[in-house]
Amino acid sequence: MGYSGARGGLAAILAAEDLVRRKRDHAPAPWASTEQITERFRLAVDRVMGEAGLYHEPTAAAALRQAEGDPLEAAHLVRAQRSTLPRLANSEPVDPDELIVLRRIVPAFREPDGPQLLGRTTDYTGRMLERPDGQPAPPDASPEPEPVERTDEQRQPRRFLDLLRKLDLVVDHRGENGDAEPHDITRVPARPPAARSAVLATMARAETGALVGLWYRSILGPDGDVHEVTLGEVRHGRLPLRIRHPHTGNPVTVGEFRVTEAEAIEDLDGAEEDRTKFDVGYGLCLGHNERKVIAMANLDIANRRFGRQGPLEQLLLLTTDGLDSGGFLEHLKLPHYVTFRSMVERKQAMRAAADAGMGPRVADPAGRDCR
Amino acid sequence: MSEGMGREQRCALLAEAEPDELIQLADACLGDGARLRVLVSPEVGCITAQVREPVAAERFLLGDVLACRAEVELAEQRGWAVRLGDDRAAVLAAAVLDAEAQAGRDRAADVDDLCRAVAERGHRQAEREWAELAPTIVEFEELT
Repeated sequence: MGYSGARGGLAAILAAEDLVRRKRDHAPAPWASTEQITERFRLAVDRVMGEAGLYHEPTAAAALRQAEGDPLEAAHLVRAQRSTLPRLANSEPVDPDELIVLRRIVPAFREPDGPQLLGRTTDYTGRMLERPDGQPAPPDASPEPEPVERTDEQRQPRRFLDLLRKLDLVVDHRGENGDAEPHDITRVPARPPAARSAVLATMARAETGALVGLWYRSILGPDGDVHEVTLGEVRHGRLPLRIRHPHTGNPVTVGEFRVTEAEAIEDLDGAEEDRTKFDVGYGLCLGHNERKVIAMANLDIANRRFGRQGPLEQLLLLTTDGLDSGGFLEHLKLPHYVTFRSMVERKQAMRAAADAGMGPRVADPAGRDCR
Repeated sequence: MSEGMGREQRCALLAEAEPDELIQLADACLGDGARLRVLVSPEVGCITAQVREPVAAERFLLGDVLACRAEVELAEQRGWAVRLGDDRAAVLAAAVLDAEAQAGRDRAADVDDLCRAVAERGHRQAEREWAELAPTIVEFEELT
């Protein structure tokens, strides 16, 4: 409590915490089970997993319940929990082309390879508030759905970027930077200038609203880092997680996890750029969070083009983490009596000096030596 | 060692099996009084998901996935298991079943049967999932 210069109040603090527990855990309403939260509030659960950087639905659901539905506080709880866990392994590099799609749309092109699969969404229908009195009646009992023919192309469609490459319409960045070890932002904070792996990891874990806000600033704000806003592709689906088997040395799949992925297309128009081609930005995050990855994909390409010419890289690395920004903001609620008293005393001293005819203190111009 | 199923494939399927079916079969495997040594107690931790993104083929760390691992020795064969989530009993049971199959003991065929059942269940789930998703395939009309 270096800022506060205060102590005591333990009984009141404990009483306040007890009030939270009693009102939350013993509200006159049915208990919100972990299953209730994961099944009915899946997008909130997914958001917490993404911003916490830990994929485990029951953990995120428990955090949401404890945080009384505050996703940022929930992400904080999960990240704190994660920090207590050992790292069992780094996965083998995951290939996003292996994604089994649950949803996949290609806004830029009507007939991509594979289907335009709407999946579970209300994107294309008007949304009106529904206030049912109780749980809606279950749908009519229908027989097991008839199997529908499916192909690998339908479940694992080729990405739109492949089509752009085939048409020679996109700058090819593969191999430009070798195969550098990725930056681990959980061990070493990312600071500018940073490798792209650090920026991508930072955005994947960023607070959704902060990332969307920065994306919108890049369009309408003073920086103008995002020009053409065309979305190549958005996907939600499952990826396999593989690690090395300790006895055989071969990769072994230990499960699947859901992610959301986006590709954003930028029309190159810079003097040094190949104006006959597009460039593509990439977004990927844990869970289902389309807003976040669309912003991330746009900001990825913007950062590669303009990140170090202006403030964008610094903004991405230093201001989008919800725990950083939220934590700093929240600490303002702690007692700052000493800090503020010293400010008051400075004002009073200046006033006393003025009253004594000494005039207000004027700062020396920059560059002038102290005497 | 049991025939027909590779070790990595078996580990992958045991990672997908339901906890109850793993524990039940593991109890049966140990019912003959075989000596079990737990080499690595069930441990909950993280697997860091490393992704090779498709634009520049660069790797980055997406985040962590909660996982649990265990390792045992049964009939002088080591059994190893990792499962996603934090179910310690299930991962210990999976390690026992891996060792049972590696050692070619009495229940090795049952372990393979369980794995085949898990694979079949996964196949049926994928069919059901696609039957629900396929009606949402859309072909928007292009306005010219």
